[in-house]
Amino acid sequence: MPRLRPIVVLAAVCVLTAAIVATPAISQTPKSGGVLTVMQREDLPQGFAILETSTISSVWPSMPCFSNLVIFDPLKKQESVDTVIGELAEKWSWQDTYRNLVFFLRKGVKWHDGQPFTSKDVKYTFDMLRETPDAAGKLRINPRKDWYANVEAVEAAEPHTVVFRLKKPQPSLLLMLASGYSPIYAAHVPAATYRTTCVGTGPFKVKEWKKAEYVEFVKNPDYFIKGRPYLDGLKYIPIPERGTKFAALQAGRLDVAFPGDATKTIAEQVTKAEPRIKATITGQNVNDNLLLNVTKPPFNNVKLRQAFSLAIDRRGVVQSVHQGGAAVGASMAPKPFGVWGMLDKDLASLPGYGKAADEKAKAKKLLAEAGHGPSNPLKVELATRAIPQYLDFASFVINELKQVGVEATLKQIETAQWHPLATRKEFQAGPNLTGIGIDDPDANYFENWACGSPRNYGGYCNEQIMKMIEAQSQELDAKKRLAMVIEIQKKLEADAGRPTIAWRQDYYLQWQHVKNLIPHQSIYNWGRMQEVWLDK
Amino acid sequence: MAIITHDVVIAAAPRRAGLVTTVLRFCRKKPLGAAGGALVMVMVLTAIFADQLATHDPIATDAAATLAPPGEAHWLGTDHLGRDIYSRIVHGTRVSLAVGLLSTLLGSVFGGMVGLVSAYFGGKTDLITQRVLDILQGLPLLVLALVMSAALGPSIENVVIAISIPIMPRAARVIRASVLSIREMQYIEAARALGLRHLRIAFRHVLPNTIGPFIVLTTAQLGSAILTEAALSFLGLGVPEPYPSWGRMLSVSAAEYAQKAPHLVLFPGIAISLAVFGSNLLGDALRDTLDPRLRGAQ
Repeated sequence: MPRLRPIVVLAAVCVLTAAIVATPAISQTPKSGGVLTVMQREDLPQGFAILETSTISSVWPSMPCFSNLVIFDPLKKQESVDTVIGELAEKWSWQDTYRNLVFFLRKGVKWHDGQPFTSKDVKYTFDMLRETPDAAGKLRINPRKDWYANVEAVEAAEPHTVVFRLKKPQPSLLLMLASGYSPIYAAHVPAATYRTTCVGTGPFKVKEWKKAEYVEFVKNPDYFIKGRPYLDGLKYIPIPERGTKFAALQAGRLDVAFPGDATKTIAEQVTKAEPRIKATITGQNVNDNLLLNVTKPPFNNVKLRQAFSLAIDRRGVVQSVHQGGAAVGASMAPKPFGVWGMLDKDLASLPGYGKAADEKAKAKKLLAEAGHGPSNPLKVELATRAIPQYLDFASFVINELKQVGVEATLKQIETAQWHPLATRKEFQAGPNLTGIGIDDPDANYFENWACGSPRNYGGYCNEQIMKMIEAQSQELDAKKRLAMVIEIQKKLEADAGRPTIAWRQDYYLQWQHVKNLIPHQSIYNWGRMQEVWLDK
Repeated sequence: MAIITHDVVIAAAPRRAGLVTTVLRFCRKKPLGAAGGALVMVMVLTAIFADQLATHDPIATDAAATLAPPGEAHWLGTDHLGRDIYSRIVHGTRVSLAVGLLSTLLGSVFGGMVGLVSAYFGGKTDLITQRVLDILQGLPLLVLALVMSAALGPSIENVVIAISIPIMPRAARVIRASVLSIREMQYIEAARALGLRHLRIAFRHVLPNTIGPFIVLTTAQLGSAILTEAALSFLGLGVPEPYPSWGRMLSVSAAEYAQKAPHLVLFPGIAISLAVFGSNLLGDALRDTLDPRLRGAQ
């Protein structure tokens, strides 16, 4: 056999290497076509009416129909002000030291029914959200009204220019406008229509919603970004039972999971059984917390609130309820997925974050000071939603309270009754999950902690903390703002108005042939699907 | 008339066998039924002495020992919250037995009353009652219990009511059939001729003679009541958390971890199977023993 010349061997190696390197590059070129089958946790509770909902169950399957003014870049996993990109707004500009936000809108955008999109639609949407006296539309429920409490006026002087005039500077407004919770509604379509169908400007149009069976979307041929979306359509299939839905994913009946649904254990089992399914670990911006109704006894007594906060072993919740798939943190999502969370060393000094036995001893002392001991145990009824994510947490909490001498019973509430009951404050305490649209203090504090906010279920109201919340909202220096937010977190934990117990992590599952579906650190903002394509 | 009755009673009075003799004879004739009875007895004793038999607090969580396999510290392992499965099964016996017995008794007693009144008075009363029972019986036990439980909300009391309602029409039918034949008996005719009131005849002379079918019915329904309770708890409509219930132990969270820790579903599943198996065997044997048409059956 003749010996090959070294130069020939080298050339062959180069060609092979180039071929190997080039192959993935070729496969990464987006392909058009195909229908993505998507897991849906339950049927759409509020239809496509994102502005009226507080649950990812409605946001996730509705996002492909809508567009925002701005949105978080779907291809970047960590959301921040730097990843905000234009959607219906081509560009924007802060003026007068963050007091005025001017949006320059895209021209030639059409609603799915063929009507032109203009600045009037933007004004209509935000006047309705702010519930101004002259608003042309009205929402049945308006959970995020307080997000826009600082907006003084929305002006649509020209068809393609909108100005948000603010009472005080608020840089975070732009982030809240980039959330999946902030779509633009059509002014010519009654708001109630969105509960049954969707007229948007998004990359996909609703084809059919067959209740409890599926929601089908088709590609919007008039979408304002040329060449998008890549997919011909989407099909969301509601499967409430956890085992069944992940079996469907594993069997290939679904391409992707529902955000926040796969636990660490499920992800481990599915990826082991089917290596072509990949898991992406990220944050959810959803926390386990203990709602305490501070508007009436016994939890108008701060000592009892503190005792409850101290009694619950937060690391125990992470270890047992979440099997390690969560992180301990105060009222803002902890690192590495959260931006504003406190460091472990700072958390350790807060009440409830020390050694479990020591904290329980302190809890017993506080209960004794409030007049409760073995001869006079505090009796409490906990209320929670009758779904496994809530019940596991509730079972853990009951046992923790039992260890400090509190006799707790559990009342299970059906999901449909839960939010009205919580809003009316018809409960004493409740193990609860809270999801926040974006990882930002304004979104969290104005929605869940502000005095009088409809989502402040426990009715906690502290004037001093409100001033601190408003001050951080206006702060333009990022470092100073972070320091202020950390102070707020410390005060909230000390006051135990709504003790935060753990922050959930997502183990998002999708088949390898699904490309460009990048989970973010909040489950609410990456469901638009215009960049997603199938490598089949 | 009274003297004749007195004479007949004296003449016909058989020599009564003792309890032990009766039980032994039952065991000899119906060994499978006796095995079923033994299983039910074990359940009853476990429920009574649950506090002494359990090794741990059934609701105590232990973050350091989640999903522990069966071993010395936890005989049947722990669940995902670190709760001892053996202790939860032992305490779960109370729930299963209490719900099973109470719902069966409630359904049988109320159903029996309806059957008695319906058959005794007959005519339009019987016609209307039977049509209502037809409607109730048309609904499957589990579906009706599901609807009731969802409407009333999850609690032990509501589960008992939910399960007892579907049992009612079955009990009414069985008791009605017995009463229809009893009311034609000569001693009932005699009681009527003596001018006794309907209530006295129904409760003093008719009802005691339906006790055989009543016992058979109760034991036969016990197994399905336990199974329905387990199904309701499995679907989240049964006994509320954190109290242990066999059905809930098999529920969503357990299914999630079943691949990693199969003992989570294995042991509660065995407990349910044994309880239902035992009560069914006992019910069948009692039916064979007490039903004169099947007395010769083995």
